[in-house]
Amino acid sequence: MARVFVVDDEPDMVDLLATILKSDGFQVETDTDGRSALARLLADPPDLVLLDLMMPDLDGMELLKLLRLDAKGASVPVLVVSARSGHQDQLGTLQLGANAYICKPFSPRELVRQVRQLLETPEAKTSA
Amino acid sequence: MRARRQVLLQTRIARHIAFAVVVSLVLSALVLVVFRHTSVRRNMERSARTYAQLISEPLANQVGFHGSSGKNVLDLQVTQLRELNDDIERLEIVDVRGRVVLRAEGGNVVLFGDGIDAPVITDRELLRAIDGLDPTAKQITEADGSDAYRVVAPVVKQWGEHVYSLVGTFTYANVDRQLRSSLWLSALILAIGLGLAHWVSVALAGGITRDVDRLRAGVLRIQEGRLEERVSINSRDEIQELADAFNLMADELVATIRQLRDANRELETLDQTKADLVANVSHELKTPLTALRGYLELMSEGGLGAVSDEASRAVMVCRKNVERLSLRVEELVQLSRLDRFTALDSAREDVDLRSVLESAIDTFRPRMEGSGMHFVLQVQPDLQTIEANPEQIERVFLNLLDNAVKFTPHGGTVLVFAESCDHERRQGVLVRIQDSGVGIPPTELIRIFDRFYQVDPSSRRRFGGMGLGLSLVRSIVEAHRGAVWAESEEDVGSTFFVWLPNRDFPSEAVGDGAPSVRLEEADVHRPAVGEA
Repeated sequence: MARVFVVDDEPDMVDLLATILKSDGFQVETDTDGRSALARLLADPPDLVLLDLMMPDLDGMELLKLLRLDAKGASVPVLVVSARSGHQDQLGTLQLGANAYICKPFSPRELVRQVRQLLETPEAKTSA
Repeated sequence: MRARRQVLLQTRIARHIAFAVVVSLVLSALVLVVFRHTSVRRNMERSARTYAQLISEPLANQVGFHGSSGKNVLDLQVTQLRELNDDIERLEIVDVRGRVVLRAEGGNVVLFGDGIDAPVITDRELLRAIDGLDPTAKQITEADGSDAYRVVAPVVKQWGEHVYSLVGTFTYANVDRQLRSSLWLSALILAIGLGLAHWVSVALAGGITRDVDRLRAGVLRIQEGRLEERVSINSRDEIQELADAFNLMADELVATIRQLRDANRELETLDQTKADLVANVSHELKTPLTALRGYLELMSEGGLGAVSDEASRAVMVCRKNVERLSLRVEELVQLSRLDRFTALDSAREDVDLRSVLESAIDTFRPRMEGSGMHFVLQVQPDLQTIEANPEQIERVFLNLLDNAVKFTPHGGTVLVFAESCDHERRQGVLVRIQDSGVGIPPTELIRIFDRFYQVDPSSRRRFGGMGLGLSLVRSIVEAHRGAVWAESEEDVGSTFFVWLPNRDFPSEAVGDGAPSVRLEEADVHRPAVGEA
């Protein structure tokens, strides 16, 4: 069972994401604080990270940068969940090493589709 | 260009001055020559007459006295008399019958005596003058064509005895020589005068244009943006007045520019603040909307356990309204972005209108099904792709469809057609969205694309929306160099037309009609969102 780690400062958002993912059969871990999330991610890298961009203290961009700097976090797929829909924002996060980007407000079906796609991609790559 | 104009002014003034000087010089030379010509000739003629009268008697006496014997003495006498006048050509003593008695011409003196070979004068007029008692004078033309002055002086003795007359012929040659030399002198003076006139006129013109040049340099400095520099001219004439006025104008210009710059900076800050505010508010709204949308969707799909029919209907209403709220928020975000970056070129790609229209229509399916409406989509099979920003183009059709759905009553139909169509001699694609709604009054048709405009203020309450949808449609379409317009008939329905140019339309066709495009957004390729 794939492990998905959700990082978002909004408890309601965390709750929703966890509910959606759990109902689709994923194992979900959550954190509402950037710093503690980073520590936990590096200590035990999950199969996928759902990352919010706008967070107090340590925001999503910074977290992503630090995650990619560490050998353990370098290859974890990251799906950015953000309210920013501009191309610049999307491009910026993709350049920092995010694997995909989903804009709020999204539909649960779309989220699940993207998560599945990201989890399958590495396998598809290695088998190819 | 500038240098030429400056030279022209000075040359023009110099030419005027030179012209005036030359005309006055030539006129005075002419007057001088004509006046001198006449006066010199009159002088010569007067002295010729006096001379002829004076020598007539002594000469005639010599003829009678010496007879034919004393030729040498006569020669001497005649020579002495001749020396008294330079203009003599010929002197003749003629008797009253016209017979020449003595002729002195050149160095020769011929005395004819009573000999038969004496020449006889036949000219009647001259004979009359010789016969007369009063001296006469006349200008004549000689056999060789030259002008001469002929004086006839009768020699009248004490008792009225008149036997001989003196006929003196005087030449104008000396006088003419004098005149010619004075003419040459005049020409020389004229030539020197012309040279002087040129020099003086150039110098004078330079004096006049120097201040003009200084003023012009001042204007050029302002033009170059050196706004603090001023022109200093102390000519106490119109040019100084002009310079003073110019300096005043420059002062005001500087003040105005400063004011404008300040005002502009303030506006820019304000605009930035506004845009940031709109963007931030929109982003803040999106997160709660996501939570709402997510849970509602989970509930209606049974992801959170069984829901009663009544609750399910309530959830559907919630979903519909969350959808509407999302649209509005997205509109705000798009609008604030459009205000800042009109350049949509940055994210252009080939867009298949069929799939855009299909996906836009799909968005409205849940709402349509609830109210018994249906869509008809007809797309020309070989429709060309257009070059556009797919997100923005989808926004255009979402807003137009939203409008059509909003105003179409229960059970109505919304027709969507897409076909190739030329517009203002450019190739492109025309999309028609036709509803069977309440329609729009003709007077309102032009204004519906204005920002925040709504046909009827009460429609805000009835149909929702902020009046941004159509203005956003227009902004996006115009940024794509397309056109949007509407036709409507009240209580029958409205048709909205969106024309977008084909991707291969020539760039020079981007004319005045196209909106100004500011290329502020970097030229980035649109990332394949959602695909790792």
